Amino acid sequence: MKVGIIGLGKMGLLHSCILHTLPNVEVVAVCDKSMIIRRFFKKLFKNAVITDDFTKMACLNLDAIYVTTPIPSHYPILKEIYSKGIACNVFVEKTLTSSFSDSEKLCSLVKNIGGVNMVGYMKRYCVTFRKAKELLEQKIIGDITSFSAGAFSSDFVEVAATAKEPLARGGVLKDLGSHVIDLALWFFGDCFVDDAVIESVTAPGCEDVAYFRVKTRNGVSGDFAVSWCKKGYRMPEFVLSIHGNKGVIDVNDDKVSLALNNGTSRYWYRHDLSDNVEFLIGASEYYREDHAFIASIQNGSAASPSFFESLNVDYLIEQVKKKARYQ
Amino acid sequence: MSVGKQIKLLVGDNPFHGISHLSQERTRNRGIALVNVEYFTNLLEIALRNGADGFMFSVSDVTLSILEALCKKRIVADFETYAIVPYAYEYVRLATQAGGLLGLGKKVIKDIILSGNVNAAILGTKGLLHTDITAFLETYLLYEISRIKTSIGRPLKLNSILLHEVITEIALSLDLNWLITDYISFMRRLNISPGFETRNFAYLVRKFKEWKIDFNGLTIAAPFNKIGFQMNPSREECEKALLEVDGANIIGMSILAAGYFKPIETISYLGKLPNLNGVVVGVSKEQHARETFNLLNKYLKSR
Repeated sequence: MKVGIIGLGKMGLLHSCILHTLPNVEVVAVCDKSMIIRRFFKKLFKNAVITDDFTKMACLNLDAIYVTTPIPSHYPILKEIYSKGIACNVFVEKTLTSSFSDSEKLCSLVKNIGGVNMVGYMKRYCVTFRKAKELLEQKIIGDITSFSAGAFSSDFVEVAATAKEPLARGGVLKDLGSHVIDLALWFFGDCFVDDAVIESVTAPGCEDVAYFRVKTRNGVSGDFAVSWCKKGYRMPEFVLSIHGNKGVIDVNDDKVSLALNNGTSRYWYRHDLSDNVEFLIGASEYYREDHAFIASIQNGSAASPSFFESLNVDYLIEQVKKKARYQ
Repeated sequence: MSVGKQIKLLVGDNPFHGISHLSQERTRNRGIALVNVEYFTNLLEIALRNGADGFMFSVSDVTLSILEALCKKRIVADFETYAIVPYAYEYVRLATQAGGLLGLGKKVIKDIILSGNVNAAILGTKGLLHTDITAFLETYLLYEISRIKTSIGRPLKLNSILLHEVITEIALSLDLNWLITDYISFMRRLNISPGFETRNFAYLVRKFKEWKIDFNGLTIAAPFNKIGFQMNPSREECEKALLEVDGANIIGMSILAAGYFKPIETISYLGKLPNLNGVVVGVSKEQHARETFNLLNKYLKSR
């Protein structure tokens, strides 16, 4: 299977490494705008086509393409990929595009073209969140009554007020919050925003902290807190606390805890949940995610989360921004 | 573990950086992410007095300050050092804040030039002009070695420099056998054991054999624990691979599966492993340091 990568930042490199270890998969083309990056990657991918123009990949008859560029470039690149027929199986790092309307337009286009598509919400492939999903499906805690969700990092705790990077990354909701929003949508279905607050910390106009309240179709209320300026978070962390009429599930990247109203309690660490993979780099969920995407192409089945599922994340983010009080 | 073999006991530095692979929440609750060089120096000293042979650390300002403080005290006569480079967390954080890999590259080059290490700066310029990855790696290694030696301030054995798992895994996955070979030759010229940290031990052994790399004198740090935590693809595959690496210095990491086990629970498992030359364990409390290394000293080192 011949794969191309557009965007050779951290995520482009990570996916390239994993893909290279998968049987019958070869990274045959890579694209980046930076000349220095291209020159270095020429040494790493000796047999691949290295280019600054991804449309040149059209002649390579690619089986799949990965888009790992900054979020604002997703829509124009994806549109071009589909309209020029560069590849019909496409993986894009989260979020799908930078606006709900662009994501909607893209989904309409893809609906007519077909192929396997996937957005890089890799937390769905983390064993602890998968275990939580399994417990919810088994209705272990009965009917869900409320939930809280958080996404935190210390990425910009001690960053000068003039720093450009928080702005360049498109805000905390898309960069960090989108993962926990995707998990919530996966767990609870569609959510609708009741109230929201967005705060600027690093510089005026930056979206650094967000709080918002949602309701699901079943009337379950959920509270979200998202921040990339929170002290003590060496690595980004995602956490959900789910209350049901029979108990509570607490889950984060490391652990799932179950406490039932009848006094029974149990917990599982990653250690207890078969976390090993064929090749580990970054975190095991990245391998599972790439493996699932490639397997979907080989089997002709749909990958998850697809563009269509991920559209809901963009919708929720847009609703938060529309309803937010800015502070 | 073969009877009569000297098993090295090394102190790991994860707790010094506020790292827990079991639960980051637990680390936050303990509050030990707050850097306290004096406290960690004391912990390292206690571990060394209770049977530890050395220190395995990521090269960072914190660990270098700990080394410097310990060496200045001159209480512990001698110990071995195993340095892991680069300190990936710091570089990922810098990449996040500086605008990706390119921003990170510029920052590293600037640091090397400002360090005043002439050899490294010349080699680095050559690497930059020709986008020569080997020259860059060698520049970076010279820079880190000079930082370590400056901190130690006296002749202390630098047993090995290990490539951080991120670099090892990139090289393994992309089939960069030339980079691995160049690195090994460079370290051998410096009379330091070339080392690799990996969480894909079985994959590494398979690739090194395919690339006909001689295991003699290499140092490899990889997870070994009785539930197979981070032993990819499986505990069984890693144990099988361990049988094939005669001559290498294999250091077991995550032997307590990041705190999932108590030290006493891991002894019998480690005792059965062949070709394991050492283990590395992080400690975060004085009592923990004393008890853990006393126990490992009693049951592992004296075998």
